[in-house]
Amino acid sequence: MSVASPSSDTLKTGPDTVVEALKQRFEERIVLEQATLTGWPVIWVARDALTEVLAFLRDKSQAFEMLYDLSAVDERLRSHRRGLPEADFTVFYHLMSLSRNRDVILKVALHEADLALPSIVSLYPNANWYEREVWDMFGITFEGHPHLTRILMPPTWKGHPLRKDHHARATEFDPYTLTVEGQDREQQALKFDPEAWGMKRRHDDSEFMFLNLGPNHPSAHGAFRLVLQLDGEEIIDCVPDIGYHHRGAEKMAERQSWHSFIPYTDRIDYTGGVMNNLPYVLAVEKLAGITVTKRAETIRVMMAEMFRITSHLLFLGTYLQDLGAMTPVFFTFTDRQKGYEVIEAITGFRMHPAWYRIGGVAHDLPKGWEKLVKGFLDWMPKRLREYERAMMENAIVRERTRHIAAHDTTEALAWGITGPNLRATGLDFDLRKQRPYSGYENFDFEIPLGHNGDAFDRGQVRIEEMRQSLRIIQQCLDHMPAGDYKADHPLTTPPPRERMLQHIETLITHFLQVSWGPVLKPNESMQMIEATKGINSYYLTSDGNTMSYRTRIRTPSFPHLQHIPALMRGGFVPDLIAHLGSIDFVMADVDR
Amino acid sequence: MAYTLTRATDAIATDSSQYPLNERRRVEDPVKQQIHRNVFTGKLEEVLHSAVNWGRKNSLWPYNFGLSCCYVEMTTAFTAPHDIARFGAEVIRASPRQADFMVIAGTCFLKMAPVIQQLYDQMLEPKWVISMGSCANSGGMYDIYSVVQGVDKFLPVDVYIPGCPPRPEAFLHGLQLLQDSIQEERRPLSWVVGDQGVYRAEMPSQREKHREQRIQATELRTPDSI
Repeated sequence: MSVASPSSDTLKTGPDTVVEALKQRFEERIVLEQATLTGWPVIWVARDALTEVLAFLRDKSQAFEMLYDLSAVDERLRSHRRGLPEADFTVFYHLMSLSRNRDVILKVALHEADLALPSIVSLYPNANWYEREVWDMFGITFEGHPHLTRILMPPTWKGHPLRKDHHARATEFDPYTLTVEGQDREQQALKFDPEAWGMKRRHDDSEFMFLNLGPNHPSAHGAFRLVLQLDGEEIIDCVPDIGYHHRGAEKMAERQSWHSFIPYTDRIDYTGGVMNNLPYVLAVEKLAGITVTKRAETIRVMMAEMFRITSHLLFLGTYLQDLGAMTPVFFTFTDRQKGYEVIEAITGFRMHPAWYRIGGVAHDLPKGWEKLVKGFLDWMPKRLREYERAMMENAIVRERTRHIAAHDTTEALAWGITGPNLRATGLDFDLRKQRPYSGYENFDFEIPLGHNGDAFDRGQVRIEEMRQSLRIIQQCLDHMPAGDYKADHPLTTPPPRERMLQHIETLITHFLQVSWGPVLKPNESMQMIEATKGINSYYLTSDGNTMSYRTRIRTPSFPHLQHIPALMRGGFVPDLIAHLGSIDFVMADVDR
Repeated sequence: MAYTLTRATDAIATDSSQYPLNERRRVEDPVKQQIHRNVFTGKLEEVLHSAVNWGRKNSLWPYNFGLSCCYVEMTTAFTAPHDIARFGAEVIRASPRQADFMVIAGTCFLKMAPVIQQLYDQMLEPKWVISMGSCANSGGMYDIYSVVQGVDKFLPVDVYIPGCPPRPEAFLHGLQLLQDSIQEERRPLSWVVGDQGVYRAEMPSQREKHREQRIQATELRTPDSI
């Protein structure tokens, strides 16, 4: 047994009592503490101790209430693994304690001949989908899992895409064809079988109706399918079916350079624009050891908050439309247009600017940006007030949403709910305050909270969040620091142009860095941010290459959708539609 | 003008037939052939086609169908700042049976492809398909195991709109191009008139049409000012 010294980030936050407690309690079954740049203790645990360790950590004394993430790494081709336990596959569990504002990451080594782990669904209910995803992507089984089937890939799929020996490109094969017979087979495979989910077809003298909602339904907000077991209007049970929007972003990261993966991040939460770049570039900058300038930080914050507003406006319009209000969407999209005028003038693009760079942003703010931003700041407040007056104070909206799909904080934490949906239950947890990144500690703003955790509060919290975002943007406008928009660091990509045309050496260096991209030292890093829909993070594993060895993208909407059945049992169909509108999800943020 | 003739062969499709099912080939303008035979009825038919097509192209009902990012820009085109009602295409239908055209707005996934095919089959003739955005056009930046490299691998596409995602204005442009194409179509005027084939005009490529003008641009604006 060897114990590595804790990472510099852990030391900064003081000695971690969690690690001490674990070592004391489990002794040699705690295999190793790995030094990483994640900022949290990463602990390798013996497989037979996993369930006990998790139960111990979830217990009141340690209070890790939330399973934040669960995924795996195919270690078979990784060359820089010195000091780590031997493994073909590693499964990692990221636990979060919101009350103590601490995290811990557990890792378990697995060998190819025996890819099995105990399921932890009984400890953390939201492990259910994560374990299914690991089975789907890596072929690792979880003993005792209630329904271990594919979740992202079609049921007829062969192989496990995130294994290193699985093909990445579609063009490695013959072009796609769809035959009449193939069409029938695929559709048949998607057919819902109630018995497979342990559902009864009838109860006493009444027969249940099984309603297939989606994968294309106006209220499903994209390619999302939900099968409802109905007794009249009442929902007895429901089964969400996802994977109709799986774009393989995590696999894609394994063949893009650190720099050229940035545009893919925009399309994860596609209403969030550059907000998605932020956790990725921050995590890369940790690996590269870059500190960005104050100006770059502030520009990033300003643009991220612009996108928070446009995303929340889209939410508000569609949420109210789902409740039957036709007009708000026309108003909120007018505001979005105003927002896009600012965004486009600054970044050059509307939805997916891919504008952040490793070490800064793509270019400096254009001349005259202040006037545009000011125009937007003047326009919004009276509109928000109008939405509140016309909509949130509207009797029909209130009747449709108050005490609908309500849950408390404990339930939210057990299901991995984050972001505005968590704050709607009254818990004051916002990463911008609790774990400030990119200079959020310098801003003066409040965290709006709800009380009932119902569909109404989820809407109201977001309106209030837009006001706070406007405040942050105002402060960016008033106090935009002078200086460079890119860090002066050899790994900043693309490197500053002034350094390029001096002599042949500088030209070669520049050429290599824009063609092959920067090479990052082998390590692991991670960054969480408070994205538009909840906590979004990138867990990057570098193997000392120009590409990432493994990129894990944790998105907030995935657990939010998993929570639907627990919340909707006993509700009515119209309540479900109100709830779907209030979650604020996009399918790319679920399936990636 | 050259035309593409499509004949319905769904009824005789076998299990191994590939989508799109119908048989198509290139032909001359059928109306022109009529005129050679009979000047008067030929002219009448041209007027009739023109009148029917005028009606069709100005009341296109879109199917409310979205896959990913592009759908947001498509919806933006439906709202007040862009106002698609100016082109008579604001009546969104949630059911494929009531819709005239389908916009494949977003990435076409392997898991979704059979579903898209079924929804397309449920639309009634006359029907058209717009492929919106790089993913639907060719797979775009997603050359990855779970994505079909272009929706035209199984659906007949009428208009391709480039962009990732295309702006709402680009979508409106695509819609107008579809309207132009519909104006030139020759569809059976009745079940007893004509040979029951669907003749689609081969419209000029926009890239070629605008190339001369586009390559004139030699100085691009810098992003230093708004």
